[in-house]
Amino acid sequence: MMEERKQAMKKYVIRRILSGILTIFIVFTLTFILIKSAPGDPIRTLLGQDNDDPVLQAALEEKWGLNKSLPEQYLAYLSNAVQGDLGTSIIYERSVNDMIGEKVGATVLLGLTSAILALIIGTTMGIIAARHEGSAYDLVTSGATYTMNSVPSFWLGLMLIILFSTKLGWLPSYGMTTARKNFEGWAYVADVMRHMVLPVMTLTLVTIPQYFRTAKSAVLQVMNEDFITTLRATGMDEKKIFYKYVFRNAILPTITIFGITMAYLITGVSLIEVVFSWPGMGRLVLTAITQRDYPTLQGIYLVMSVSIAVVMILVDIIYAIFDPRIRYD
Amino acid sequence: MTKIKKVFRTIAGDRQLLFGCLGLMILLLVILFQGVLETHDPYEYGSDSLVGLGVNGHLLGTNKLGQDIFSMLIAGVSTSLKVALISSMISAIIGILIGGAAGFLGGKVDLVLSELINVFMMIPTFFLELMIIALFGNSIVNVMIVIGLTSWASNAKLMRAQALSLRERTFVKSAVVMGESQPQILFNYIIPNGIFPVIANTTMGMSGAILTEASLSFLGLGDVNVISWGQMIYDGKSYITSAWWIATFAGLAIIFTVIIFYMLGDGLNHALNPKHVSGGKK
Repeated sequence: MMEERKQAMKKYVIRRILSGILTIFIVFTLTFILIKSAPGDPIRTLLGQDNDDPVLQAALEEKWGLNKSLPEQYLAYLSNAVQGDLGTSIIYERSVNDMIGEKVGATVLLGLTSAILALIIGTTMGIIAARHEGSAYDLVTSGATYTMNSVPSFWLGLMLIILFSTKLGWLPSYGMTTARKNFEGWAYVADVMRHMVLPVMTLTLVTIPQYFRTAKSAVLQVMNEDFITTLRATGMDEKKIFYKYVFRNAILPTITIFGITMAYLITGVSLIEVVFSWPGMGRLVLTAITQRDYPTLQGIYLVMSVSIAVVMILVDIIYAIFDPRIRYD
Repeated sequence: MTKIKKVFRTIAGDRQLLFGCLGLMILLLVILFQGVLETHDPYEYGSDSLVGLGVNGHLLGTNKLGQDIFSMLIAGVSTSLKVALISSMISAIIGILIGGAAGFLGGKVDLVLSELINVFMMIPTFFLELMIIALFGNSIVNVMIVIGLTSWASNAKLMRAQALSLRERTFVKSAVVMGESQPQILFNYIIPNGIFPVIANTTMGMSGAILTEASLSFLGLGDVNVISWGQMIYDGKSYITSAWWIATFAGLAIIFTVIIFYMLGDGLNHALNPKHVSGGKK
């Protein structure tokens, strides 16, 4: 029995990984086709409006490998990408890997901090609401999270800037560090943390509803199950039932939500970075779009897809390990 | 007659469905009386640049170009609803066809289509939308099509599950024995009987479409020829310290509209899905 489970588990993990690889491959091919079929020629953009020197154009096309046939270009890009090389930015003539590498830290800092805060706060709020279903606390938190679910994150960010920066003057609304201060050591850390407060608050607030809903409905569902009723009938202490049985069973669904919200956060962070001028990947995307810097755009999208696929697969596997009831299909 | 009564009773019995329907009615009335409600031509530039609330007959002030914010909000209703309706229709149709075919036909077709559904559930869609709009132009039509094309996966997943269980039901099996063709069965039995969860999900998806359009506009990828709330927030971002009203009210309008579609979706889920346990209470 045990051995059988292990085998099934192994098969499941391999299947998930294969399907993740397929996803990334499709994303890769899709973006290549999209970029190649788009109107507008990056070489023309580079040359400028009035310059139509055919010799220069041919030279640029050769430099960027755009004179080769499409299948050749595709295969070249694919083989580079598999080796971890995302190409060179047409506009900045720099390695896309380097450009992403410089920005990814700031984005992960925002995203991960918000994800963990939202997980802790949202889940706790949801569990308490479920334990006191129908109470004033439940009504208020349910209503508030329902509304928060409909709030555009970037708008919330702007409102927080109006309140905490413009009106109250408590917190900075721009960038990651104070310009021209050149803090070092702990002063630098404190400075970054001050700049993080508003963007992290925004992202956490819009992510909390997911955890709240999931935790609340999971706890309610477990509390209604037969074995809990049976335990109650035996006269077991209500607190003990909750911590020993309900809590453990209800925490599982939040793991799944963590994976999905991480995926949303990775894209959501970009919008918030634009609001707060945070020096992360989101701003890189925007400049790449306006300058038609296709290699950079494609590279960022690929990195995002890979990270989302990895998080989702990890979550599925963790879920499968913890939940014995899962069917491997 | 009794059917209409039953519909009304269902709506009155579910708080979310009731509020959702009332909200939708308000939005539709706003669109219907758009010309009466608008105090100024929302597209017209005026000399009152960045004036505050109530100044010179501008209820909610003006933007840099002197456009009346209140009238722009009113004009934004139809833009939002158009985006919501058309993009979710596209997403529903694709989802129903792919999910229905996968679940009903089974076998290799199901294997391929299911994998396709899984892939689209994992793709970061917002960036795909962003990229397509950036590459192919930011007309409102493009925005609607792109949102529809990238959001069908959850609909397909629901439809597939429905088709899988309907396939085993007697009335479908007898249709097979009677020699009806596969497309006939799919369109006459599977889809009409399995469509309800997709309807609820699509309504829910409308709020997502509104938020996506707003996000794209906020990044400067909206249609500049159409007044939209997201565009107003994008516009107001530069004046957030001096003219807070430009972005603030547009955001409130988005929240109001998105909540309405969430409530409608939730309510429809309770009403159309008998297996739903929470019974309309939230």
